[in-house]
Amino acid sequence: MNAGNSPPLDVDRLYAARLYAARVRPYLATALFALHPVASRRVPTMAVDRHWRCYVSPAFVDRTPLEELAGVWVHEVSHLLRDHHGRGDRVARDRGLTGPGERLRINIAADCEINDDVFGDGLTMPAGAVRPESLGLDHGELMEDYLRQFGLGPRTQGLVWLDCGSGADGLDREWDLGPDGANGLSEQERDAIRFRVAEGITGHPGTVPGGWRRWAEEAFHPPQPWRDLLGAAVRSAAVMAGTGADYSYGRPSRRSHGVPGVILPSLRHRPPTVCVIVDTSGSVSDAELGSALLEVAAISRAVGGRRDLVSVLPCDATAQVVHALCRAQEIPLIGGGGTDLRTGFTRAQRMRPDVIVALTDGQTPWPSARPLAGTVVGLFPRSRGSWTENADRVPVTPPAWARVVTIGPR
Amino acid sequence: MTMSASSPQLDVANGLLALLGATTTEPRTDTQLSALTLTVAADLPVLLWGAPGIGKTAALNHLAETLDLPLTTVVASVHEPSDFSGLPIVGDDPATQGVPMAPPDWAVRLVRAGRGLLFLDELSTAPPAVQAALLRLVLERRVGALRLPPGVRIVAAANPRSSAAEGWELSPPLANRFVHLQWTHDHEVVVRGLGGTWPRPALPRLDPDLLPEAVAFARRAVCGLLSVRPDLVHRLPTTDAARGGPWPSPRSWEMALRLTAFATAAGVSREVLSILVRGTVGDGPGLELLASMDRMDLPDPEDLLADPAAATLPERGDLRQAVLDAVVAAVRNRPERSRWDAAWVLLARAVETGAPDLVVVPATTLATLRREDWDVPATIERLAGAVSLSRRADAAATRIAAAAGAGR
Repeated sequence: MNAGNSPPLDVDRLYAARLYAARVRPYLATALFALHPVASRRVPTMAVDRHWRCYVSPAFVDRTPLEELAGVWVHEVSHLLRDHHGRGDRVARDRGLTGPGERLRINIAADCEINDDVFGDGLTMPAGAVRPESLGLDHGELMEDYLRQFGLGPRTQGLVWLDCGSGADGLDREWDLGPDGANGLSEQERDAIRFRVAEGITGHPGTVPGGWRRWAEEAFHPPQPWRDLLGAAVRSAAVMAGTGADYSYGRPSRRSHGVPGVILPSLRHRPPTVCVIVDTSGSVSDAELGSALLEVAAISRAVGGRRDLVSVLPCDATAQVVHALCRAQEIPLIGGGGTDLRTGFTRAQRMRPDVIVALTDGQTPWPSARPLAGTVVGLFPRSRGSWTENADRVPVTPPAWARVVTIGPR
Repeated sequence: MTMSASSPQLDVANGLLALLGATTTEPRTDTQLSALTLTVAADLPVLLWGAPGIGKTAALNHLAETLDLPLTTVVASVHEPSDFSGLPIVGDDPATQGVPMAPPDWAVRLVRAGRGLLFLDELSTAPPAVQAALLRLVLERRVGALRLPPGVRIVAAANPRSSAAEGWELSPPLANRFVHLQWTHDHEVVVRGLGGTWPRPALPRLDPDLLPEAVAFARRAVCGLLSVRPDLVHRLPTTDAARGGPWPSPRSWEMALRLTAFATAAGVSREVLSILVRGTVGDGPGLELLASMDRMDLPDPEDLLADPAAATLPERGDLRQAVLDAVVAAVRNRPERSRWDAAWVLLARAVETGAPDLVVVPATTLATLRREDWDVPATIERLAGAVSLSRRADAAATRIAAAAGAGR
């Protein structure tokens, strides 16, 4: 360790803090021990780079209580585990954020994401840590969401010294040792550590806070956008029903003249008919319903359907948005009906569609028998308010024969 | 057309084109290209996922040139199933001779050449019936009555599912036969290339001396993981979208084994191997395989206990802790006085050569393994640093507990 001519780094104090952090957060021990500390007089406190080096200011270690130092260890390793540098780079590119000011905002937003759930339960929050509340924001959100909600101004004036290094916001610092420097971890090694930490959390979820459990679930299986999932479900339901492409002797193949004497089947396209049942009785927002309905129409067009082959059955007479959408999209709209989704299924099956798509919040009885058509359920999760109101109501889950896609805001 | 090659304007234009075409190359390690080359060398069908216009075709041209293979491109989405399964041709006496299935011209040319790179483009926009016909081509390498010779390697490309509603999912059986590589462009490479300097990738070369060792390593790695994690052998993903990507099955594990052997014999980095196995059996199982390989690299606890004075421990903290834990576990499994003493020597070495906080937990566990007639070895003195560290952490815990109690 290179201490230069500054006061030497009190490594015992630093390591005692790490030991304490690993004791109170055993699921982070692998990650904490993988960090390689480097003494540096140029960092204000502690900072990480994307190669899992941790730059430590000796003066900061001297003046900080051991308990708080343990909190800083956990804070810094959280930046790396949650891939804030990669996410920071992506968000900067996607939204065109350039310059050190924007990177400072990314660092602050990342700090908010970490600090709202890693402290407490034996871990002291370091003095001066940014919390979403101090910026007037809700807690429990992601860095990307926080980033939309604040700008640099009087409230962040006290934070301009804040610097968690390139591991937190993706901007290289002059003190960084770079990818070729000593003791850095390669991308594969970084992934392996994140994977082992995630495995540890999903294996023993008992005492782990919700934020970390969510991270562990999503670290290597990021949630897919519902549009992709809904599209995949409708497309494979359309294929399963034997629609799409099939062979027919109804017309000669366009290649028949090449093989005289043989009757070749020709590839005929029978576009799938899609029937969308819309449950408008629940607490589904018009915007969500509208985008889901539009998506189904777009998908069925893409698999070869025509507009007249998509029909919509609203299961509630007051569904204004459905009517307006269907008029605009030239989708035939078929009658209203009760709020019971079973009547919707009965009506839909009378039309003999290839695919039935039910857009619902799921609070409905389901048909007891499997429909002949491939069935896709686009499920709108109920808002939290409704859950508490109906706390004793047992939610009815969609039957196993339906492909279920949860439609969320993302 | 009145314009000919001798038109003066066109000559000037050709001059300009020649100037634009005159670019130089520089050596550069390219992870995704190394992964592609290794997969093609291992004779496994590979599928490149990438947005249009990012240089998938250029990479393939380059690969064909490097491997000295002629490139045949077939755009899957504009073909009929019979182009891959063969067209029936009626002979003189169908009742006795049968109706042969005639292959298309590109397949005939490939077979005649005996070698080549077959590039199936736009796989994800091919209708399901065409994908079904492609199954036989990709797995059995048959086109109608023809069998593609061993010198032909298969590469495919597909555009990723975007939020747009177009395109089909790859059917799960077809997806399971491919090694999936995510193809992205490197900003720096593109900018430098447009400036006139394109990368000249250093392609991996197989070392003939390493072959038996590579096979042994790959078998040990894959079998070692699957014997302790039997549920990883076959796991069809639950969502339709994930089924069109890499997922674990006995077939894809065999491909992962082959790629591990190739990567080992070529001595490529773990990054390349990581791309390959994750693209074959999926992210989760692939990472588990890599993690178990990392553990295979660690020193054997029994070797360390046999000669603790000469032991070299890993530099990286988390690996070092894993080794020390394994040593203590080995002592617990067969508790003998000499092994217990040897473990203390190892822990003392660990305190002297690295961060002391790693040693605290193994030392505490080792202390509990003491039998009544075993004397405390003198080596324990050398662990004083770790003990004082542990005390400081205990003191911090007491302070925090007291603060929490006072705050209530």
